[in-house]
Amino acid sequence: MTKQQTAFEYEIAQLLVSSLNLALDPSAIDPEAPLFREGLGLDSIDMLEIALAMSQHYGIQLRSDDPENATIFASLRSLSTAVAARRA
Amino acid sequence: MARAWFERREQVSTGVLRRARGLVLWMGRRPALIFLWPITLYFYVVSRDARRGLARFYERLSGTKPSSARLVRHFYVFAQTILDRVYLLAQHPDAPRCEIRGFEQVTECLRRGQGCVLLGAHIGSFEAARAAALSRPELRMQVIMHTEISRNLDAALGPSDRPDAAVALGSPLGLLRIKELLDKGGLVGMMGDRVLAAETTRSVSFLGAHAEFPVRPFRLAAALQAPVFFFAALYKAAGDGSRYYEVVFEELGPAAPSGRERSFWVQDLGERYTAALQNYCRIAPDNWFNFYDFWDASASRPGPLSRPDNPPGARPRASLDPTFLTTDPPAHDKL
Repeated sequence: MTKQQTAFEYEIAQLLVSSLNLALDPSAIDPEAPLFREGLGLDSIDMLEIALAMSQHYGIQLRSDDPENATIFASLRSLSTAVAARRA
Repeated sequence: MARAWFERREQVSTGVLRRARGLVLWMGRRPALIFLWPITLYFYVVSRDARRGLARFYERLSGTKPSSARLVRHFYVFAQTILDRVYLLAQHPDAPRCEIRGFEQVTECLRRGQGCVLLGAHIGSFEAARAAALSRPELRMQVIMHTEISRNLDAALGPSDRPDAAVALGSPLGLLRIKELLDKGGLVGMMGDRVLAAETTRSVSFLGAHAEFPVRPFRLAAALQAPVFFFAALYKAAGDGSRYYEVVFEELGPAAPSGRERSFWVQDLGERYTAALQNYCRIAPDNWFNFYDFWDASASRPGPLSRPDNPPGARPRASLDPTFLTTDPPAHDKL
């Protein structure tokens, strides 16, 4: 069963679906499932698109040398948390 | 570039290649070219699939079967480009000269601080262009490779401390670094004609018949939102018989739009790329270095080195970033 998304996670999920052109209902994304590989099945190019979409919409910079990258892009939840923290 | 041979011949070890490198640097290019003949003939005789694949290319190009002499000469041209990598990477005096054509438009972008994506192919010597950049800073580019495929060969043929190590296409942080580099006005190069196992492809008319082209390089070019150029380093003969590399650049399109037009842009880019590739195949047919039946989707293509930790048919290992170990899953088709 899919876990409950918070309002902000839903907003991010909508952004993922629209910027990656996914044929998917944003509310159906499990916030704790991995975004890559076995989870949503996104690849490295999708991750680049996500990083660019986040910087466009929220004015935050996700940089390649960020030590937290491995956790930021792990799931919808971790991504939303990171975006919320950096936006503030 | 040397994939067609070396990767199928897994027994060619890095150690052997390093010794060969030392030898050819010591003897110089002219004597080395003589030794290259028996080596070429050996590979010509044992590489049945490569011979057939190449014959298919000439049939598509001219409608007639190529003579054996033509195929052998083609193998010899390929062997010379591998040899030249050694001289070019070492910046040896015997390295053939490189002439650059069509770079003005690239320069114009760079002057504005706008980086460019360069899409290459297995025509001519991608590596010669890379190597030429060692002595010509304006050509310096960051290369994106499919995986670790050519890195062993890279390590063996070049100096061990290459400043221009490649980024893997499957590495998310690597791609983010690439984007940052483009934003700073850098050049990024990658191949657009080679399909690996389990990769999303698109069927495109190429020299009169449908061939499968990979989708990822074009998707990536779109995601990077930078102007795109076709480029190739063609190995040519001058009027006096001397050989040189002609590095050509041809504009394929401006930066990708965002939103819904994106997928049309990607498709368009793919078509322009194929048209450019087709054009250079006609100009320099002996520079075509895809040694397999390019039009047969099931043809065995050169894959990652067959090693115990990387068996044939396994997904390519893809990360240069120890913090983000991942391989690319089959991409969902967005075209």
